[in-house]
Amino acid sequence: MAIIEVKNLSKTFKVKLKEKGLKGSLKSIIKPKYKSVKAVKNISFEVEKGEMIAFIGPNGAGKSTTIKMLTGILYPDKGDIKVMGIDPKKERKKLAYEIGTVFGQKEQLWTHLTPYDNFKFFGAIYDIPESRVEKKIAELAMLFELDEFINTPVRNLSLGQRIRCEIVASLIHEPKVLFLDEPTIGLDPVVKENIRTLIKRMNKEYKTTVFLTSHDVGDIEKLCKRVIIINNGGIVLDDSMENLKYHYLNKKIVEAKMRERVNLEDEDGITILKDKGYNLKIEVDLEKRSVSDAIKLLNPDNIVDINISNTPLENIISDIYKNENKDDE
Amino acid sequence: MLMEVKNQFKISFLSVKYALMREMLNKTTFITNVLFMILNNASFIVQWIVLFSLKDNVGGYTFDQVMLLWGISAGTYGVSHFFFSNSYHLSELINNGKLDSFLVQPKNVLLSVITTDVTTSALGDIIYGYLMVLIFGLTPLNLLLFTVFSILGGITLTCISIILNSLSFWFSKTDVIADTGNNMMTNFANYPDGIFKGGIKLMFFTILPVAFVNHIPVQLLTKFNLGLFLIVVLVTIIFIILAFTIFYKGLKRYSSSNLMVARI
Repeated sequence: MAIIEVKNLSKTFKVKLKEKGLKGSLKSIIKPKYKSVKAVKNISFEVEKGEMIAFIGPNGAGKSTTIKMLTGILYPDKGDIKVMGIDPKKERKKLAYEIGTVFGQKEQLWTHLTPYDNFKFFGAIYDIPESRVEKKIAELAMLFELDEFINTPVRNLSLGQRIRCEIVASLIHEPKVLFLDEPTIGLDPVVKENIRTLIKRMNKEYKTTVFLTSHDVGDIEKLCKRVIIINNGGIVLDDSMENLKYHYLNKKIVEAKMRERVNLEDEDGITILKDKGYNLKIEVDLEKRSVSDAIKLLNPDNIVDINISNTPLENIISDIYKNENKDDE
Repeated sequence: MLMEVKNQFKISFLSVKYALMREMLNKTTFITNVLFMILNNASFIVQWIVLFSLKDNVGGYTFDQVMLLWGISAGTYGVSHFFFSNSYHLSELINNGKLDSFLVQPKNVLLSVITTDVTTSALGDIIYGYLMVLIFGLTPLNLLLFTVFSILGGITLTCISIILNSLSFWFSKTDVIADTGNNMMTNFANYPDGIFKGGIKLMFFTILPVAFVNHIPVQLLTKFNLGLFLIVVLVTIIFIILAFTIFYKGLKRYSSSNLMVARI
């Protein structure tokens, strides 16, 4: 059985329109005009137990709105949501016991208290007996390596340490589903990597289903096996990470250092990305031309150094975003 | 059900406790806030001494009763602003989408939100209220009644603020309306009801229920009457029901936001 079921979900916001300047402000007082913005349009999907799923899309695509409807923060206009069989609209409190949320941009911890006191407070929020909370804190502190700073007030922690504490706070009540909204925002690469490892470990240890939104391709690539891409309020892609790469990886990037200059401008299936005299970066469309073909064009004897790589996932995703926008226009 | 209520109160008390601990981080600010509020309230005694040197009673109140009235209004204001401080900032919280973190907790949203902050100077008000009872009407029953009235009145004041601030769910910025309403409640609270007539007096028993928060309690501190006492309790319950109904009706329209915020 699916742990998250979403059927034909829609949400529209009413936005007040205002013309520029003071005159516009006066006008909007006398005769206000509104515009309906469809933040989420008729989306449906399912998530299985224990899955780690990336829910991604450009800014304003409807990610946060969807996550907020799934967690009971926002009321949907239309459609059905079932998270562990619970309807967030009708049984918000019951659902809250089963899910955990981490909003990278919003802090839930009291900053003047130590992480330990915060965790105990969260334990009380979820009505967990004292002895069990202490056991759980010890267990999670070990998993997320918090021992060093568990008794330092949150305001004195670094951002990375704080996010780790935020995640632990959301796990105190052993949620079955964890919603992570940009958990690695603003973190340095080392800390990001560390957080990813910890999330992975948690998923393995507790079989927690993870619903992740992020703009960081690293998060998505390293954590999730499945991706849902949302744009302009609708789902544009729902596929496994492998399929995504397979279907969209029909291009290779070839970077070569040359002895002599080569002109490839009119070659079919080759796009020149960078041409700095002896340093050349091209993209080869594998549907039209093979890599060896492209190397032949460069002339192997002429190559000093060469590097062949896949199109980065980041480019694949931004291509999907862009294409979707184009289709709309 | 009973367990749920008990747990809810536990969380609300913990929230108030933690918020108080935060305010106490800066010892000097904390102490001066409390002391200056007591002094501020006390400074108004002068004007009443002058008034009572000219007249024996003002609007049917003796000097001692006026002081008890000040005690009650300080007590109710203090309880409301200390324990439920965030009910006065609800409009801003609604507009800026700051209810999110409360909505994902398995607790009553309204109670969790309003108890998550304290106003330290309100402690000064509570202390001032008790001082007034100690000086101008000390009996064991009065001490108990004063405590009960401060709590009941404090809850009513909080409910009025919640109702006015909840309008933000429908009309976005309504903090000015809420502030005006709340100020009117405190302004009228400090004068004997005898000096008001007609329409204003009618307001005291309806939309600006100063009569139930302040005037009747002072009467009861002078001479207890069970019937009147029960009416005060009933009015408080009505306001609680109204506040919860309106807030939860509005909450369905809550639209959140993506502002960067921290709980500080």
